[in-house]
Amino acid sequence: MLKDIASFLNSQVSGSKAEAYEAEVGDGHVSVAGEHLFACAKALKESSEFDMNVLQVVSGVDYADRIEVNYMLASFTKNTEFILKVKLPKKSSDDIPEVDSVCSLWKAANFLERETYDMVGVKFNNHPDHRRILCPEDWEGFPLRRDYVVQKEWDGIEVNPAHKVNSADHNFFKDVIEKMGGDQKKVTYSWKSDAES
Amino acid sequence: MIEINGKEIGDLSSLSSEKMKSELLTLNMGPQHPATHGVLRVELKTDSEIIAEAKPYIGYLHRCFEKHAESIDYRGIIPFVDRMDYLGAMGMEWGYALTIEKMLGTEVPRRAQYIRTIVGELQRIASHLLFYGVYAIDLGAFSPFLYAFDEREKILRLFEELSGARLLYNYIWLGGVWNDITDDQLRRIEKFIDNLEEEVKTFHNLVGENKIFIERTAHVGPVSAEMAYQYGATGPVLRASGVDWDLRKKRPYGIYEEFDFDVPVGKGEKGQLGDCWDRYHVRVQEIFESIKILRQCLAGIEEGSIMGKVPKVLKVPEGEIYMRTECPRGELGYHLVSDGGKTPYRLKVKSSCFTHVSMLPEMGPGQLIADFVATIGSIDIVLGEVDR
Repeated sequence: MLKDIASFLNSQVSGSKAEAYEAEVGDGHVSVAGEHLFACAKALKESSEFDMNVLQVVSGVDYADRIEVNYMLASFTKNTEFILKVKLPKKSSDDIPEVDSVCSLWKAANFLERETYDMVGVKFNNHPDHRRILCPEDWEGFPLRRDYVVQKEWDGIEVNPAHKVNSADHNFFKDVIEKMGGDQKKVTYSWKSDAES
Repeated sequence: MIEINGKEIGDLSSLSSEKMKSELLTLNMGPQHPATHGVLRVELKTDSEIIAEAKPYIGYLHRCFEKHAESIDYRGIIPFVDRMDYLGAMGMEWGYALTIEKMLGTEVPRRAQYIRTIVGELQRIASHLLFYGVYAIDLGAFSPFLYAFDEREKILRLFEELSGARLLYNYIWLGGVWNDITDDQLRRIEKFIDNLEEEVKTFHNLVGENKIFIERTAHVGPVSAEMAYQYGATGPVLRASGVDWDLRKKRPYGIYEEFDFDVPVGKGEKGQLGDCWDRYHVRVQEIFESIKILRQCLAGIEEGSIMGKVPKVLKVPEGEIYMRTECPRGELGYHLVSDGGKTPYRLKVKSSCFTHVSMLPEMGPGQLIADFVATIGSIDIVLGEVDR
């Protein structure tokens, strides 16, 4: 099915560079060029052959040199689903790549794209309400980037102050393992190994 | 006639609506509001009692579970997924376990499959009973809540015996389940569902067929099938719009294909297709379907092991997967990207409540504020899952 979609996109949208990737483990995907994403999504939604009437989720994944945005498309009339992927190159670590919004095709994209912007840092062009959604509006950085470092202060409030971090909990198992002489088996799910020792 | 500023008082034409001040009033509903089911804030612009604009603000419960998941090993994530939809935790665990098992190619023993189905369906009943209770409270009736919680308590007691916890179970593990179910417990479930069937019929007569309840919910907040597709609505919200879509039927996971049950859809019996009453009714009917599945489980459960073969040091092969399951509130999806290590490279959760909240700006305008409360209640959101 992925190959059919890729050849359909290549014939409908010139320059879309649609490629099907069949995976041995898990799911495959169809990747398209970032600048033609909207045209591809529109073709898939309007085609009677595929009829992708539902956008389930938008999932951004951060890599060292690029950000991948995955659109989980599904057809609830034909009972099919697949992953449409765009790979957006990232010049530096604080670069915000851009891609066209699909809000005008699926209204679900409004919140989903806002979340992707908030968490991974991708700008969606032509989005009607492009703001952060889960973090405060003046939050710095994008939490789900791999190199994210949480800011020290927000709105005059210290983030993660030492007296709020429950270090006793953090160090609890470390201490117990040390007391047991470094043998992890004696600690985990204790009853049985206690009796044996 | 007294004249003020050249106008005669008593002349009604001077009070026509065009000449009156028509400024919109901004009203904050939430985050600490009993009818928003947690910490949802909706900024309402109202024209007297009529809503002109509704803007939801979320994120008050945001813990960035997806970031945490990147530094915890695959087994350690299970207690975290519980905390998303804390009223349907078994469904969250089951979906996660299925995702990892599909990547690993793990075979889950038949007995574990049956136990998973039993706890999954009991969880669905518990969640729908809670919906029934709190929805009645939203609309001003307190006693149905007590009836529903009496029955829900029995399910939670059973889950406590099975897993040691009442809400956040950590019961469904990768490859199977943690603890075996005893014959005595199975007999008690059988007794419980026999009783429950009669009880739920009473519940429905008490609330669903009540004249006041119908007046409050019929024709309120209708969602058409086209709108449900546009917003990616799933679960009871989609089915109430007349769409016959249930993953347990359409893309069966676990052993659902062996069971015989129906998918209730909304018909617009009391008002319009896809209104609040339809959403309520679909959930009540789903309780009966769950009871049907439970009966077949109890008749067919097999002896055997409850844990499949899962390697001790768990490394998921490189690749990605998107797996979805039917949870009480809608479809739950996990998008897992693995680089072959001991922790996920990225774990993205598709939450049905999140997409349902995004429907509020379209459902709100034109409604009375009290009807908007009924609408929020009818989509049955849990903010733990919205914010993750």
